[in-house]
Amino acid sequence: MTRPTDDMNGGAPSRRARWLAKYGLGFLTIAVIIGVYWLYTLQPQANRTLTPPPPKVVAAFVAAIADGSLFVNIGWSLYRVVIGFAIGTLLAVLMGCTAGWFRYAGYVLNPIIEAIRPIPALAYIPLIIVWVGIDEPARILIIVLAVFKPTVVNTRQGMQEVPRIYVEAAEALGASRMTTFWRVGFPNAIPYIVSGMRNGLAAGFLALVAAELIASSNGLGFLISNAGQNLQIDVVLMGIVVIGVVATLLDAIAVRAQAYLTRWSEVRQS
Amino acid sequence: MSDAIEAALQATPAIEIKDVWRTFQRLDGSAPFTALQDIRLDVRAGTFVAIIGGSGCGKSTLLRIIAGLVPPSRGTVLHEGKPVHGPHHSRGFVFQGDAVFPWLTVRRNIEFGLQCRGIPAAERKRTAETWAAAVGLADFIEAFPKELSGGMRKRVDLARVYANDPDVLLMDEPFGALDAQTKERMQVELLGLWDRTRKTVLFVTHDVDEAVFLADEIVVMAARPGRIAERIKVPLPRPRDERSRVSDAFEETRRRLRKLLEDLAPATTPAR
Ligand SMILES: Nc1ncnc2c1ncn2[C@@H]1O[C@H](COP(=O)(O)OP(=O)(O)OP(=O)(O)O)[C@@H](O)[C@H]1O
Ligand SMILES: [Mg+2]
Repeated sequence: MTRPTDDMNGGAPSRRARWLAKYGLGFLTIAVIIGVYWLYTLQPQANRTLTPPPPKVVAAFVAAIADGSLFVNIGWSLYRVVIGFAIGTLLAVLMGCTAGWFRYAGYVLNPIIEAIRPIPALAYIPLIIVWVGIDEPARILIIVLAVFKPTVVNTRQGMQEVPRIYVEAAEALGASRMTTFWRVGFPNAIPYIVSGMRNGLAAGFLALVAAELIASSNGLGFLISNAGQNLQIDVVLMGIVVIGVVATLLDAIAVRAQAYLTRWSEVRQS
Repeated sequence: MSDAIEAALQATPAIEIKDVWRTFQRLDGSAPFTALQDIRLDVRAGTFVAIIGGSGCGKSTLLRIIAGLVPPSRGTVLHEGKPVHGPHHSRGFVFQGDAVFPWLTVRRNIEFGLQCRGIPAAERKRTAETWAAAVGLADFIEAFPKELSGGMRKRVDLARVYANDPDVLLMDEPFGALDAQTKERMQVELLGLWDRTRKTVLFVTHDVDEAVFLADEIVVMAARPGRIAERIKVPLPRPRDERSRVSDAFEETRRRLRKLLEDLAPATTPAR
């Protein structure tokens, strides 16, 4: 298998043209959606409060920047995502590696993983509110759960699917059981882990907004729910766009990290 | 140490295979399949032994048992007089397939065994550079395996095993997947390495020319059940090079081996 995985330029459009197409077309899609919405808001019968025209949304954005509240809310949301993501990922990788590699650890841990697997993290919100409360730990716990799920499942799979030849090669070179675990099982699972982490990040962000919608006095989810209650639809729309942009930026970082961490892999990353 | 003990030590073969059997359960529940039947073989230290035989006659299974990667169903394997229980770095294994770790660079692949044995970084680095150069990969030492061709990866595998300095080299059709030219070049390179180190080698192949060119002794195996049918000595002088391939001794041994394998053939193919 020596098939090149990238930069196959024979007859294909150049990288530059592909880059332009990718971002140009994406931008165009969004522009068309905004344009159609804008045209609608210009209709005489359109309600300027319920369907504020884009300039009003921009004005809300400028105002939120001017009084600093937007940065405060973004800061809180990012803080929660980062802490929850770090804890969730750490737990998921530790548990997934152990459950996927050691048979008896798997017998012990698999029921936990299988029990968590079919349940959306948001379903735990009522329980968490009752048991943990509505403060910071509760919000972070929801994110931890959301991040944990895809990452633990992927990590376990990555550890289970290590080709036997690598394990045998390591053992024949003198590796102990623990060395084989850390220096063969774990690296082999990295592409799985990283793609699980990417899904975990998206799921964590989703859960964060939900958590902040329910009980919070700051953060992007709070910004939206609070504005909604006050019928400030321009602020709601602005908040949604900001969440989308922040999530996209986080994912862009994750994609970079993924490309670096799996640069050795022959499997083509999406 | 007395002369008698020394003489006894000298006489102890590097590898002794004592009445080894191996059976496999069949998934359909029918009677177990005998992959190896009563294998006995002694290999003296420093000899290059080739194991040849048709597909499915148990060559890989035998090699894996010697390595300690699978246990025999019956019998024992002794390495320097001590029973084999599980793999050990003193018995290096070159696999039939691609076993180079894709997540490590060439350098880190070659250092892997040394690192497992706690060899200090400076020495590891020196050893890795020496062996990368020895297999002609000095310029690729920081490359990942995906940037290398199949033949280059095989050389990484060889360097990795050699760097670990095993007493015995177990090689399972290491060049089976290579094209004819690369294969012949790798054979010459392997003999070059072997001349310098004189390790005990057990080399599985089903290529007659390869066996004759490389080995001091050829073990011919037959299938169903897997067993040793014949052992022949190769009267080719050392050191060998490309000219050895056209000598009379080569031609003669080759013809003999072919005849042997042909005679065994009806037993090695399923009834038609
Ligand atoms: N893990 C296993 N389970 C069941 N049967 C096995 C197993 N490993 C090997 N066998 C059987 O043992 C026999 C010998 O296999 P082995 O791989 O040793 O053959 P080989 O001589 O190396 O063949 P080849 O030249 O094709 O590599 C085969 O018939 C195979 O079906
Ligand atoms: Mg084989």
